[in-house]
Amino acid sequence: MDRHDDFREFVRARQQALMRTAYLLVGDAHLAEDLLQNVLTKVVGHWSKLSRDGNPEAYTRKALVNEYISWRRRSSRELPSADPPEHGTSHDNATLDRIVLRQALAKLTRKQRAVIVLRFWEDLTEAQTADTLGCSIGNVKSQTHHALARLRALAPELAELRIPEVIR
Amino acid sequence: MTRLHEALKDLAEEAPPVNLADAAIAGHRRRRRTRMALTAIVTAAALVATTGGAVAIWPRDTQTATPQRADTVADLPDGKVEPISHAYQTPCRFNDKPPYTDCSLQEWRVVTRTGTTYRVPQALVANDKGQNVRLAVSRDGRMMAYYSREARAHVVRDLVTGAEVRSPVKVTEDRFEVGNQLVVSDDGRYLVFDPKVGSKKPGVLIDMRTGKSVTLPGKYEAITVKGGVVELVRYIKTDLWLMPVTGGGKPVRFDGVFINFSELAPDGRTVAASDMKDQSKPVLTLLDTKTGRILRKVTVRGLATPGGILNISVWKSPSEVMVLTLDGIYSLYAVNVNTGKARHVADYSTETVQSLAMPGTASGK
Repeated sequence: MDRHDDFREFVRARQQALMRTAYLLVGDAHLAEDLLQNVLTKVVGHWSKLSRDGNPEAYTRKALVNEYISWRRRSSRELPSADPPEHGTSHDNATLDRIVLRQALAKLTRKQRAVIVLRFWEDLTEAQTADTLGCSIGNVKSQTHHALARLRALAPELAELRIPEVIR
Repeated sequence: MTRLHEALKDLAEEAPPVNLADAAIAGHRRRRRTRMALTAIVTAAALVATTGGAVAIWPRDTQTATPQRADTVADLPDGKVEPISHAYQTPCRFNDKPPYTDCSLQEWRVVTRTGTTYRVPQALVANDKGQNVRLAVSRDGRMMAYYSREARAHVVRDLVTGAEVRSPVKVTEDRFEVGNQLVVSDDGRYLVFDPKVGSKKPGVLIDMRTGKSVTLPGKYEAITVKGGVVELVRYIKTDLWLMPVTGGGKPVRFDGVFINFSELAPDGRTVAASDMKDQSKPVLTLLDTKTGRILRKVTVRGLATPGGILNISVWKSPSEVMVLTLDGIYSLYAVNVNTGKARHVADYSTETVQSLAMPGTASGK
């Protein structure tokens, strides 16, 4: 047993959920893995403190989102994240929803995309989202409104996804 | 649970399985060693500096080393060249092990009608925030518009005469956001720059001859500038506004939701577009810009792949409109709107092309 065993156990239990969030944020499997690995590399440095008196998962999610916002700005370009349908295949509604959603998400700002992922994938409350992003609840409301409006404008058929209305 | 949540869930399921614990621990150890080495180097450099003749020595990160350019594409020469068939942005490089993305060699290139490819190093390909910056091509391929970092403005170049005109409207690089677009008119006189389509941030119509500029409503997106008319579309309600460059005109509303608008057909009133309801099918919808009515729907036949239509652009004749598809590769077709028959024109590999700028249509559309 070494001093990183607790960390390993945490990663084994939560890495797939965190990877899904990372994938929704960046839209590319390799970049998502790179992003998550960067974050976990930082988390392991603070592990003794986090495991003692913190909430490692919430901290990691927060670090992941904030690393995404700054990391993409620093080192990445708009990436071809919208794969077209595969050749010769037909698609059911769920597949088409996924394709359209991926294309639309790629056109949101980083913060808008993060808000969509946190509110509608992680099911965080506005207060939890604000805490994760380090901004006000009002800012979360505003970002959510703009993100949903942008999704509707980019892909009107997403309206059929029963996107929740937000308070204006 | 909303369908949005379900769609996000479906998308998230695409994430591959990972096993990152040991890699993260190794990364942490490596960073700690690097920090310690850096501290030692800085200390040593400080000691050397105090005795004179300091030499800066920094560890090299092999992941960020700039790779050498493998190909030998020439720079676009000054002066007369020839009209171009299209322009394209080269892709970033993706490395699997270790995973990183290198966009340092990304650039704009143009391809002449006779097939010669040139680099366009004077055209900014992305700003410091990583947002793509557009290059637009006129309908006849003679005019090319791009953003010059040196001029801090757009430049229109006549590829036949070699003449260049700088836009009088200065644009700072930080204004380019996701969804920025650029359109150049057939004669190169007019330019439309939109920093972020569909947003509150307005676009601008620039008269390169007089230096005058007109602010365009932010909610509208320019499709073309042709014959002194700017074709503007608002997507939420799908309004189309044929606005003379001198101002005026009024929008017409279509019955339905449409995207991928073509330029105005030679008959002066028809446009082709994709109906959002049929977006996954190869169907063109012909719309009347005077009445807003749907004229007819045309199922496209003869596409090599059944994927959806990526873009509809210029009319080659009163009956043929150019259609771009993306299904593994970009494919360009001339589609007969009477018969639906598609005539294959060209393919562009996605391995060498990240985004295409086709003649006569908004770059970034």
